[in-house]
This record gives sequence, structure tokens and C-alpha cells, in this order.
Amino acid sequence: MKTHNISSRDDRPGGDHAVYRFRLFVAGDEPNSRKARATLDRLLATHLHGRFELEVVDVFVDYQAAIEHRIIVVPTLLIESPPPPRTIVGSLDDPAPLLTTLGLSNGGQHS
Amino acid sequence: MRRKRKNTHTPEAHNTSAPYAPAPVVHLEKTPTHIRGLDEILEGGLPRSRTTVVNGASGSGKTLLGLEFLYRGALHGEPGIFIGFEEPPGQIRQNAATLGWDLPALEEQNRLFLLDARLKPETLRSGNFSLKGLLAIAAGKCRTMGARRIVIDALEVALRLFDTPRQVRNELHALNDWLQAAGLTTILTFRPSLRGEASIYEDFFESMGDCIIAMDARVTEQISTRRLRVVKYRGSGFGRNEYPYVISHTGLRMAAITSVGLRHKPLGEKISTGNARMDEILDGGYRRGSCILLAGLPGAGKTTLAATFVASACARGERVLYISFEESDAAMVNNMLSTGVVLQPHIEAGRLAFLTRYPESLGAEEHYFAALERIEAFSPAHVVVDAISACHRMGGKQAAFEYLMRLLNACKERGITIMLLNQITGATSYMEISGNEISSMVDTAIFLHYEFSLGETNRVFQVLKSRGSRHSNQKREFRLTDNGFEVVDVYLGEGDVLTGTARQRQEERDLLESQRLAYEIEMKELELKRLRLIQEQMHKARARRAAMAHPEKPSLFDAPPSPENPRS
Repeated sequence: MKTHNISSRDDRPGGDHAVYRFRLFVAGDEPNSRKARATLDRLLATHLHGRFELEVVDVFVDYQAAIEHRIIVVPTLLIESPPPPRTIVGSLDDPAPLLTTLGLSNGGQHS
Repeated sequence: MRRKRKNTHTPEAHNTSAPYAPAPVVHLEKTPTHIRGLDEILEGGLPRSRTTVVNGASGSGKTLLGLEFLYRGALHGEPGIFIGFEEPPGQIRQNAATLGWDLPALEEQNRLFLLDARLKPETLRSGNFSLKGLLAIAAGKCRTMGARRIVIDALEVALRLFDTPRQVRNELHALNDWLQAAGLTTILTFRPSLRGEASIYEDFFESMGDCIIAMDARVTEQISTRRLRVVKYRGSGFGRNEYPYVISHTGLRMAAITSVGLRHKPLGEKISTGNARMDEILDGGYRRGSCILLAGLPGAGKTTLAATFVASACARGERVLYISFEESDAAMVNNMLSTGVVLQPHIEAGRLAFLTRYPESLGAEEHYFAALERIEAFSPAHVVVDAISACHRMGGKQAAFEYLMRLLNACKERGITIMLLNQITGATSYMEISGNEISSMVDTAIFLHYEFSLGETNRVFQVLKSRGSRHSNQKREFRLTDNGFEVVDVYLGEGDVLTGTARQRQEERDLLESQRLAYEIEMKELELKRLRLIQEQMHKARARRAAMAHPEKPSLFDAPPSPENPRS
């Protein structure tokens, strides 16, 4: 795993599509962090079709970033864009809060 | 995972080599808190590289204790980290500034780090999480600062994030493991739940601590009292009392009183009372380092007598601290001018200092520590307290008693003479004169009062007690003149015996009184004689009755004549 694993699959803001920017804080590859990453990858692929930026930060590598963003618990997902900024903590077992927050809850799948 | 391990095993974490399993043979190392009074109670400080749990309700000062531990540690070369789940760092810095602590300076020098660990309010939850973010930050900071101390404030707030006791336990285990591995001297503070609902983890929480300190703030009679108690200290002795503490203007302050009375200095030489006649009566004067009690009705002259002593001590170049609960220093100095006692020059020369505060303005502890601070800063040879009768207004009888006992001890330990003024209300039992059950601590007691005679009120005083010296118990008349306290001989004198009508009358009255007493004694003796006669007659009659009823066998109901029975 890289320090700043930037999985940027930016679509070049093409006008009608909002740009989603995420920052996911994990602690190495401990189970909750791994789970959160996997879920997030899957959801973003399904719903955003590459119209997003995701930065994964390992707090044990970049603790300064953790201080800066006040990351006390991991995993923590910061939704930095579109505004307002929001925070979701946990392994994202239930995708509903994330999808609702992003206004994507209609997207066919539910769990 | 790999990376995490790599990070926690950097050379700075060498402390992990120390045995963390219970090692009873090894001498327990301690880290001084440098908080005034606390290290004495803890017999050296907190357990080094181990965890201390501090619990207390909100407002008890536990956050302050943690912060002061870090602040003083940083000043003494031990950098520290503060993790606050409740208070934002800005507020902490502000509060610290009111105590004169410059936290930003220490932060700049990398000797202190304040982490804002409050959870953002808009946070959503989904699934499981852990406090590893916190640990990562703490570990990272610990490395770069070379931290030796850490305080985790209001941990219960963080633990509330977790739904099950199991999760809470896991988090606490992880935290505990990390703290032990890092070898940090730790303070965890938490507020015990009021309803007992969270007690599932509190037991475990407390078991993490090698040392447990309970802090408590109570309000009695509208004045708050704060108490600190060491509940447990694995492998170490500690003071087991409840210790009062205050938040003074420089930080926490507490007093260990385990050694009360053991370190009192012996009484010193005789020092002048400031009045030659008074010196004679007291066989040379007061004893240095003693406790002197001046009791009397309002206006009886206590303050004048005290001021006379103060002026003479200052004139010898000695320093005096005057603690006044009623009058401002200016008013007191002015009032004394009318009796010829000049104090102003001594104030200007820095030999006389005042500590004036209304008793209600502070709790007994704060009063005590304020006095102690002045005593330590000013190093007086003598302390005057005017008046101890006002002390109960600090929060009741018990508060007054504790204040006086502590102050007395503080003075006696330092060989400082302490003069207590006590305003009494009229009754003149010795208990009331000494007031506050401190009579056993008093070395010299002088009682000032009035004697009323035809058209005149005369001031008299009497030495009730003067430990370690010959003294006269005789009642003396005195006057408050332009030249101060002036002793007059009441009954027998050289020269001015028959000058005042009042004294003359008093003498007559005394004669009458002694005659009355003699008469009373005579009456009592007669009465006694009469009683003895009656007893004797009854005894004889009984013996006769017994002999008549049963000439051979004495009755069970009649006492057999025996040598112990009422003598003739």
C-alpha cells in the first residue's frame, strides 16, 4: 500500500457532472480499514463511474494529515466535495449513509 | 500492518525492553508532578512509565491536574502530549494563560502538544471503527517530540462512541498496550457516570491504573471545598487522607497534613510584647514561635495590643504579616494612630505586610493557601490573624477549624509566632475565649474585657495561660491612651493606687467580694458539718434497728458495719 494512494480517475469536470472528492483515512490494513476500502471502491465504481477523486491516507504513515483533519477513529471517510464537507466513520458495512449523503440512494441496489 | 509495526519500533520506543509485568522486587520509579503538595501526598510522584487514573465530576479540576502535570513536566525537561476529548485547545490555552502558563511558547519549542480530539458533530457512522487514528497521532508526536508524559482527558467521551462493552474493552486494551510499549507516564481522566450505567467499563478502566486519584468538589454553605484522595497506588505508600486543594492563581495547590505537629519548632526566646509592663507580667514577654491568643469583646483593645507587638517587632527589623478579615490595612493603620501606634513607616520599609480579604470571598482552602503563599514569599517572623472569630464565615465551623489548624501548623513548622485575635460575644468560658477548639495549640492566652463601675467602664485584662513561663494571673486594668496600651495596677500599685474612683470602688468591691466568698465558704463548711452529723445519726439509728429486729443475725437489708462504710 502506498502512502498517498491517489486513485484519481478524474473525468475532467464536463459541465453537468459534479466532481466528488473523497479522503479515506485507514490504519494499515487492519480489518475495518480493509473493509471500508473495498466497500468504497465498489460503491464508487458502481455509482460514480469514475467521476471522483479518492485519496487514501494511512494514519500510521502520515499522522500529520490525521492531526490536520482531526482523525481520532479509523476508518474515517471525508467527503470534501461536493460541499458541505461531511464525515463518515466506520467500515462502511452499511452503504446507505454514504449513498444518502451523496444523493445516490436511488441507484438500483440497496442493502 | 507492517508499516505500523515498523513505526512503533523505532529506537525511541526502546522502553519496551523494560519488564511491564508486575516486578515487585524492582524499586518503583516515580515521576514528580511538580504540582505543589501533590508529590508529597504521592510520596515522590506518579508511577513512572505507568498509568494513573484521575476521576472526578466536572469542575473538580481533573483536567487542570493533567494539564499542570504536562506544563510543569515540560518546564522540567519532560515533553508531553495532551489529548482532549472535550475541550478545544484554544480554550485550554486561554484557561492556562489565566494561571500565567504560556502554553503556546512550549508548543513552539515542541515541549507540549495539544491534540483536539473532539469528534466532529456532523459525523455519520457506518460499521465498526477503532481509536487507531488517535494512537497513530500520539505515536507520531511522541516520536518527534521525545514525549515522556501523556494526558488523555475525558476518555469516557471517546468510549461512548462504542456500542458494546466488548468494543470498549478492546479499545482500552489497545490503548493500554500502546501506552505501556511507549513507556509514557500517563494520566487518564474520566468523569464517573452519575447513573452507574457505564460501570461496565469503569472497573476495567480503573484496573488500567497503577495509581488512582479521586477528585471531588463539594459545595457546603455556599462555599466550595475541593478534596483529593489517592484511592490506590500499586507498590507504593501514599497519604491516605482526603487532602484539600485549591486552584490558586498559579495552578493547583494542596497540602499534605499527615505530618501535623511532628515538625513543630520548639518555642524560642522571649520577645517583647511592645509594652514594658506587659513584658513584666508575662515574665519577659511572648515566646518566639508560640501561638498567642488575644480574646475579648469588641473594642476591648485586642487590635491595639496586637499592633503594639507588631510595631515593636518591626522596630527590631523583623517582618510581620497581618491577616485582616474585617478592616482594610489603611483603616487599621489609621485607627492605630489614635492610640499612638505608628505602623505606616514599617509598611513602607517592607517590614509589615497586610493580607486583607473578607472571609466570605473565598473558601477555607483558598484562604489558607493565600496565607501560605504570602508567608512563603514574605517570610515573616510573626503572623497576626484578626480575627479568628470571622473564620466561620469561610464556610462553617469545620472550615474555620481546618483553616486555623493548617495555618497554625504552617507557622509552628516555620518557627513563626502566630497571634490570634478572637472576638467573643460575652460569655467567658475558656472554650469560647480560645474559640474553634484550638485551645491546646495556644501557648499564651490573654483575655481582655470591661469592668463596669459607677459611670465608668474600665478595661481589664488577665493572662489566662502562658506556657513555659511564670506569669501573673492577676486581673489588671489597662488604658488605651495616646501613647498606646498602658497597664495600670488595679489593686496594689506604686503611686497611683488611690487615684481613680473606679479603682477605689473596685478595690472596695473586691473586698466585699472576698468577704462574701469567705462567708460562703463558711456557710458551705457548716452545711457540710450538718450533713455529716445527719449521716452519722442515720447510721447509728440503722444499726440500732438491726440489732433490735435480729439480735443474732443482721438483716440482709441492713448494711453490715464495715470499715468502708460511711465513717463517723
